[in-house]
Amino acid sequence: MSYELNRLLAARKAPLPTSKTVDPVTATIIRGAMETICIEAATHLGRAASSAIINQSNERNGAIADAHGRLAGAAIGTPHLSFVTQSEVAYGLMKQEEYDWGPGDVFLANDPDYGGGHLPDYCVYAPVYSDDGELIMVQCLQAHQGDTGGKDPGGFTLEATDIYTEGLAFPCIKLVHRGKRRHDVFDFIVRNNRLPTFAGDLAAMIGGVQHSVRLLTDMIHKWGAGVVKAAINTNIDQTERRVREVVASWPDGTYEGTTWIDADTQGIKDVKVHVTCTVAGDQLTVDLTGTDDRPELVGVWNTFSNSRSYIMTQVVAMMDPTINKNEGFFNAVRLVIPEGSIAQPPPNKPAALGSFHPACEITEAVCIALSGIVPERAAPQVYKMGMPNAVIGFDENGQMWLEQGVDTRTHDASAVKGIDGWGACPNALGNLLLAQAEDAEPRFPILSKSREMVTDSEGPGQWRGMPGSTNVKQVLKPAMAMAWMVTQEHPLRGMCGGEDASPYANWFDVGTAKERKVPLAENAQLEPGAVIAYTYGGGGGFGPALLRDPQAVLEDVLDEYISVKRAHEKYGVVIKGHFDDYNLEVDLAATEALRKAMGVEDLREPAE
Amino acid sequence: MTYRIGIDIGGTFTDFAMLKGDQVILHKNLSTPQDRSLGVMEGLGALAEKEGLDLAAFLGQCEAIVHGTTIADNTLIEMNGAHTGLITTEGFRDEVEYRRGHKEDIWDVRLAPPKQITPRRRRMTVSERLLHDGTVHVPLDEGSVRDAARRLGKQGVESVAVSLLFSFVNPDHEKRVRELVAEELPNAQISLSHEVLPRAPEYDRTSTTVVNAYVAPRVTSYLQRLVQRLKEGGYRNHLMVMQASGGVMTVDYIEGSPIRVLASGPAGGVVGSAHVGVAKNAKHLLCVDMGGTSYDMSLVLDGSAPAEAGWNMHHRYLIGVPMVKVETLGAGGGSICHVKSGELMVGPRSAGSEPGPIAYGRGGTDPTVTDALVMLGILSTDEGFAGGSFRLSKDGVTEAFAAIGAQMGTDAETAAFDSWRVVNANMSQGVRRTTAGKGIDPKDLTMLAYGGNGPAFAAIQAEDLGITRVLVPKASPTFSALGTLVANPMIDEERSYHAKATQLDLDRLKAMWGELADRARRYFADAGYPADKVACNYQLAMRYGGQNFALTFDIKHDGKLGDLSFVDAGLGVRAIELFNARHMAEYNHIREYETPEVVGVRLATHVVTPTPAVGAGFAAAAGKPSPAKTRRANLGQGFAEIPVYAGSTLKPGDVVPSPAIIEETFTTIVVYPGWTAKVDDAGDYELLKD
Repeated sequence: MSYELNRLLAARKAPLPTSKTVDPVTATIIRGAMETICIEAATHLGRAASSAIINQSNERNGAIADAHGRLAGAAIGTPHLSFVTQSEVAYGLMKQEEYDWGPGDVFLANDPDYGGGHLPDYCVYAPVYSDDGELIMVQCLQAHQGDTGGKDPGGFTLEATDIYTEGLAFPCIKLVHRGKRRHDVFDFIVRNNRLPTFAGDLAAMIGGVQHSVRLLTDMIHKWGAGVVKAAINTNIDQTERRVREVVASWPDGTYEGTTWIDADTQGIKDVKVHVTCTVAGDQLTVDLTGTDDRPELVGVWNTFSNSRSYIMTQVVAMMDPTINKNEGFFNAVRLVIPEGSIAQPPPNKPAALGSFHPACEITEAVCIALSGIVPERAAPQVYKMGMPNAVIGFDENGQMWLEQGVDTRTHDASAVKGIDGWGACPNALGNLLLAQAEDAEPRFPILSKSREMVTDSEGPGQWRGMPGSTNVKQVLKPAMAMAWMVTQEHPLRGMCGGEDASPYANWFDVGTAKERKVPLAENAQLEPGAVIAYTYGGGGGFGPALLRDPQAVLEDVLDEYISVKRAHEKYGVVIKGHFDDYNLEVDLAATEALRKAMGVEDLREPAE
Repeated sequence: MTYRIGIDIGGTFTDFAMLKGDQVILHKNLSTPQDRSLGVMEGLGALAEKEGLDLAAFLGQCEAIVHGTTIADNTLIEMNGAHTGLITTEGFRDEVEYRRGHKEDIWDVRLAPPKQITPRRRRMTVSERLLHDGTVHVPLDEGSVRDAARRLGKQGVESVAVSLLFSFVNPDHEKRVRELVAEELPNAQISLSHEVLPRAPEYDRTSTTVVNAYVAPRVTSYLQRLVQRLKEGGYRNHLMVMQASGGVMTVDYIEGSPIRVLASGPAGGVVGSAHVGVAKNAKHLLCVDMGGTSYDMSLVLDGSAPAEAGWNMHHRYLIGVPMVKVETLGAGGGSICHVKSGELMVGPRSAGSEPGPIAYGRGGTDPTVTDALVMLGILSTDEGFAGGSFRLSKDGVTEAFAAIGAQMGTDAETAAFDSWRVVNANMSQGVRRTTAGKGIDPKDLTMLAYGGNGPAFAAIQAEDLGITRVLVPKASPTFSALGTLVANPMIDEERSYHAKATQLDLDRLKAMWGELADRARRYFADAGYPADKVACNYQLAMRYGGQNFALTFDIKHDGKLGDLSFVDAGLGVRAIELFNARHMAEYNHIREYETPEVVGVRLATHVVTPTPAVGAGFAAAAGKPSPAKTRRANLGQGFAEIPVYAGSTLKPGDVVPSPAIIEETFTTIVVYPGWTAKVDDAGDYELLKD
């Protein structure tokens, strides 16, 4: 629990020792098998779990670390979480002898100061041994839990100033010893969780990794430990080589990006993230020097491993998607994260909210920095809601229910060069499944009223972002809902001349005398019948809006993504006819004149 | 003499399988894409001629004509369906565009969006709201319905999908919307979500209904045309149509929900496989169909092809109706081998049939899996290929693999061999993903291989997966047609019902199962099947509270249509026991302290119809055939002279030791080292691990 530990966890780790060599084709085959096994484990968990956040929203990840704590393969889930896994395992590996690791063991970790993300992200992992007892790899499953046993139900506390407020932290604890569940440990952990379905979820996670361990053991038996180790080494090297090839194709130079959080949870304004990306030959360096480090900040402390992961999530998005996702990325890209900054906090800081922000602002800043050299992939892989829009209440037994609020709506779906933003989210979140009213209403005392797109909330651009949306619902029993707004002044950024997205806004007690737009942060106690409304920001635009094809602007008007007025003001497109008569068309002459007056001539050259 | 005829229309060929007594007669002719019913009539004419009858007399003696069609699939591939609109509950206009956040590739930010069937301008909302128990929270505003219909009319909408929240609990609002839209738009087809997919959640139901509305006009007009032609030709019975669930049903039933025919072609192949597998004492099958562009995998368990409802993404749209699960991988004979940054990859891009593999000599320049097989000597360049229509050529193939070898630091033959290894591995991973989460170990399965390229890879695939027995039926090229003939008339429907297993409303359950039984009785009666011929499985879908995936099981197996005496006070206790047993089998744990809940009531019905007998066994005396020749080939252990057998000369009882290549008319079977091929009494091949 120190900067020194962070350095150890992040240090480049040696390849697995083996005298075997493996041809690239066999290495590919073994990688495919490992990815498939990850999918099996995650599928198993998704079907058996009973918390909505896991089985409805699919928020679970399968990944494999090798015996040295390197990411050997990641196949499913969200990259933001997958790229944290290996650091948590790396800590456990340091304790192998002390904690008596052996075949059949299963462990749990979630500690922000020991390689983890925030507390709710439980990582259950199990070592896999060769026939002669050599540790080869570790199968991991990670899933967001609805509670962590801290001060506030749900695991998020706006005013927390230490990790103890947020709940139980596990650096590495054994759940299963040599194939037998440790019931005392299991029951203790379950006792400290408010959610009645937690025990089932934890059992499902254990079942998932055990299933994978059997398959991986068979795989090692089939190929031999030496070949499997050589394959892991080869695949990691291959990824590093491919990443370096991509970087070498980029122009050398220094590229910067700055992003902001409006304020921390207590109102300290303008929390800054600054990224400098340096390309020198085949070496990419991402340096967070200049990022905020004011010790008085509350709620905006991102864990070290999470900062590394959120940087890499954007780096990965800006490269050829067929490059295999493993430690090779970390080997190829140098990360500089200042100690004491909000991207590598001092020990014992709270972590729940920081895993959202500044984590996402780090991702966004990397995108801004690289957008000039990789415009065709410059879409920030972020979510700008301050925190989960969960609604929480208690049943007659005093046990918690949690409507996780990952409802079906759209947010932050930005454009890239040549493609408008589309769908409900950035690609990196495309494995999640958004919750449905017909699944939620029979389970929770919630009535869903609306979740439609908001006209004119797209980030304008030559390619526009997807509009944002407003999710309105009513609570039917007493409940609590928390909010932290981070984008009122600093919404999601447009790229390469594209305009910013619309900001988020949350309202409580809509339609009553108490109706209010949450200015910064609030832990609201809601009475039965209270209506809440969450407006999600749209996606950022790409390129100058005045260069958008006027016909595409007309299509957007017909679809009510934008209004006629917006077409005029933002895109310089004049549309005539009547919407209700479905006879709208572009007035080409007027459009040309308007665009000229708005300065389109100045834009044309550099954008082409 | 009476006949039963199965017909499968593919892109190139229309296949026929005719059952005449115990005898199966196969026929193939070219498809007629401009009006596919013409190709059907042409083939029926040819079959009549074979029987020495004129078409009218022949069709008059046809007891059943069963048909599998790709028309709905083609509509979605070409995206040329009806101009479609959507009417939905106020506040829920955009759910279908959000796709629950699903994106097919989380790593590729350049993934393009799917084309929208109902763009936002054609999605209208109406003021109304039901609660989850079906009570009316906001009454239907009829003015808003008329207004929505008029707006759709102004945009030239031909087909309207209606999907209101909780309509599967209380369909009154949707029914009224249909009446109002029909008044405003008398020529439009209307699809109601509670009829197409009566279950939660709203995206699944809406998406399915929208796709239904999109394909409905084309499917129904095609089927009506075919029915008309058959009637004019002298056919007097119902045309039965294959459904994606693996069963067949009358055109009337299909027209209530035309989406049921989507993906029915591959389903026919799987049903055919199940039938053959049962006859050959292989109840658990891994069916692999490797054609020109894809490798289709499916499972047969306990002799039947399980149809799954739920999260079926198909042509980038979610289709929630039950479908025989067929997983597709871009690994066929035309899949292209290439090197990307030092890594050898095969597919998913395919050379298709035009220009096709280099070896086709039609101008293809990218090396494909077929070309690799030519390099390896597995496919012959000596004589006719694909039934003799043309000859494969090695011209340009060696050079193409030499180019790959140069990038990988190997020679051309090694590059071809490595491509073979990669495609094998891709297929093994595909199979593992198909069985993922089902608790199935592939090694407990028998493989059944069909499609032109399947048997060339079957045994090596099997070996990789630990499978020790592979079936290669001689009829495999017309398997889907055979499957439609094998498939039984079937109605399998679910209704949503949500309650703790300890608090079941027995009257409600009786009413729901009663309604499902009435529907089945009516459609089966129309098709000429009396109620006492209908086999019924009454089923429940259950889960632990909070789980999102229910497990479905028989609560009354082999019951009678309408006999609901099993719905008694003990039902809940029996349901919990059966559910826990299923959960244990599936997930290896149960939750002793939780009470599971019922989420769906289901009735699966079918009628058993005559099917072709499949021969099996090895009564014939063992024979040791002689190879026709030898050829230099690499079957995974380096190049050697490999014996080559002509399939046409092999007879029941013949045993072909490894290594060997068996050349059949439409396919090539490889007997890899460590395997033996046997010809069974039906003339079908079995490959057995030594």
